[in-house]
Amino acid sequence: MHRCDRRAFIRGLAVTPAALLSIAPARAAAPKARVVVVGGGYGGATAAKYLRLLDPGIEVTLIERETLYTSCPLSNEVISGERDIRTLQVGYKGLQKRGVKVLHDEVSAIDPAKKTVATAAGKTYAYDALILSPGVDFDYGAVEGMSREISDSRLPHAWKAGPQTLLLKRQLEAMPDGGVFVIAVPKGPFRCPPGPYERAAQVAMHCKQHGKHKAKVLILDANDSFSKKPLFEQAWKSLYGYGEGGMIEWVSGANDGKVERVDPASLTCYTGFGEHRGDVVNVIPPHHAGKVARDLGLATFKNLWCEVRPENMESTSQKDIYVIGDACVGGELATNNAFPKSAHMAISQAKAAVAALVARFNGLPAPEPVYTNTCYSVVGHDWGFSVVHLYRVDNGQWVYVKRGSGISPVTLGSKPVPRLYRRLEAQYADGWLRNVLADAFA
Amino acid sequence: MRKGTVAAVLFCLAGPAAAIDIEPLARTCNNCHGVDGVSVGTTMPSIGGLPKDYLSRVMKEWKYDKRAAATMNRIVKGLSDDEIDALAAHFAARRWRPVAQKVAAAGLSKGRAAVRDNCADCHGATGNDPDIGTPRLDGQWADYMALELEKYRDPEFVMPHRKMNKAIRQLEAGDFRPVSDYFGAQHK
Repeated sequence: MHRCDRRAFIRGLAVTPAALLSIAPARAAAPKARVVVVGGGYGGATAAKYLRLLDPGIEVTLIERETLYTSCPLSNEVISGERDIRTLQVGYKGLQKRGVKVLHDEVSAIDPAKKTVATAAGKTYAYDALILSPGVDFDYGAVEGMSREISDSRLPHAWKAGPQTLLLKRQLEAMPDGGVFVIAVPKGPFRCPPGPYERAAQVAMHCKQHGKHKAKVLILDANDSFSKKPLFEQAWKSLYGYGEGGMIEWVSGANDGKVERVDPASLTCYTGFGEHRGDVVNVIPPHHAGKVARDLGLATFKNLWCEVRPENMESTSQKDIYVIGDACVGGELATNNAFPKSAHMAISQAKAAVAALVARFNGLPAPEPVYTNTCYSVVGHDWGFSVVHLYRVDNGQWVYVKRGSGISPVTLGSKPVPRLYRRLEAQYADGWLRNVLADAFA
Repeated sequence: MRKGTVAAVLFCLAGPAAAIDIEPLARTCNNCHGVDGVSVGTTMPSIGGLPKDYLSRVMKEWKYDKRAAATMNRIVKGLSDDEIDALAAHFAARRWRPVAQKVAAAGLSKGRAAVRDNCADCHGATGNDPDIGTPRLDGQWADYMALELEKYRDPEFVMPHRKMNKAIRQLEAGDFRPVSDYFGAQHK
């Protein structure tokens, strides 16, 4: 049955030719609403784009420090030499073409009472809604001996793609046969849950290809389990050798895997009881919601992450401020099914926030949001796998839909999964990357 | 008449899918299949403008484990049949936009011959004249199509379409790439 109600209009906004929509803004000189987006990663870029896509009457200003974005997803392939970093990079022209005002500037202050954002360049922008997509900042002090300078020069985290990714790549290339590549993983939740383990595989692949058969990849982990664990362990075992005598070794938190101190000079990691010398030491420090959100007091979850409303991603502590991407916390926390900190999730959260805002600025009820995630890991040539997530909102709460979630099969019945599955998902990872970059930035 | 009302009325005339507010869900498909279902990733299919019956059937086959898939079968299991139908209608209502792509010119004549003998009956000689409920292939991504053909060839990969399974037996593995490239090249 057809229902011509107000909700139908909001649907109409997205499917109606732009010519029809453009009538509204032309009628009034002032914009329907002003939205400021802070942070031009996957989350912020998607938010800016979709605001303009769904309602060109909204004035959108995006504030982002950098002029070039480098995708974190698939950046482990840059470290191993499988991928050119340029394939992960995109600028902001696409958003500008959609009428987004892009400012390469830094936020210096936000005044939630006056609803203004001030920037380092001395400009002030008023907003009706503010979307924060600041990503994460690193807590270097949590690992004794670490600092930002050490990270930039000697012990890169490469957990924000860019110069550190290339530094880690050079270090791996210079690593001799028999060398040890240490990956220190912080206590979760952290950005890109399967990332450290995909990195281990990519490093092992590099070593195997370059004749470094005696190299070791040692994962020192503050956690006792990890994302897609059976899939990683299966792949590590078949491709590189895992555990005793294998190329990849994983030390869990319970087995004294948590790195508490580093000595940058000797490239040594100290856990509670042990010490591990590496030839390359990749320390991923714990991290938390980006400074701009934390300074506002929005990181109400353990003083680390920003809590938001399930129906629209609005901060639970500050009206008209929406927090999306890695900086927020959401999902079904009680069942340990929180939102993973992924690019796909950030895009999904951006779309939910935008749909709610467009409805609000048009005096319509917000549509029911759906949050989805698809995350591929590539662990070898033509060997990939994924995890998918689906969340809906019911009674003002996130509901993790188990039936629409889960990892790639490890086995099919009693047999191993046909190799084609792994090949397909390795190939899909690249298709996914091209499409998410376009969905957010084009 | 207010413009908003115009938009609402126009939309309500669009079709039965209007019974479900499918837009927010459909936007989540864009992540991998592109805005309006036009993919820019070579291994992900464009889905905008494909037949509603085809889209809906394939999604339901994944949902009910009648058709194998590496990723999509997990994703669709969280959707209701009504949502699947509405998504199919949504993307079927987009325009099919063949994507420009580089393909190896060397295999095109081999591809044309193999298409004429094995594919043209149902998909059309250039992939733009399919039977009802059959997907267009003109300017679909060649990389994606080559992977799909491999699924049909792999006996462990359950693919339910009888005609396709029959057609695939006539093809040799060496034909997959030329056939895919030939259809991919039909974007002009």
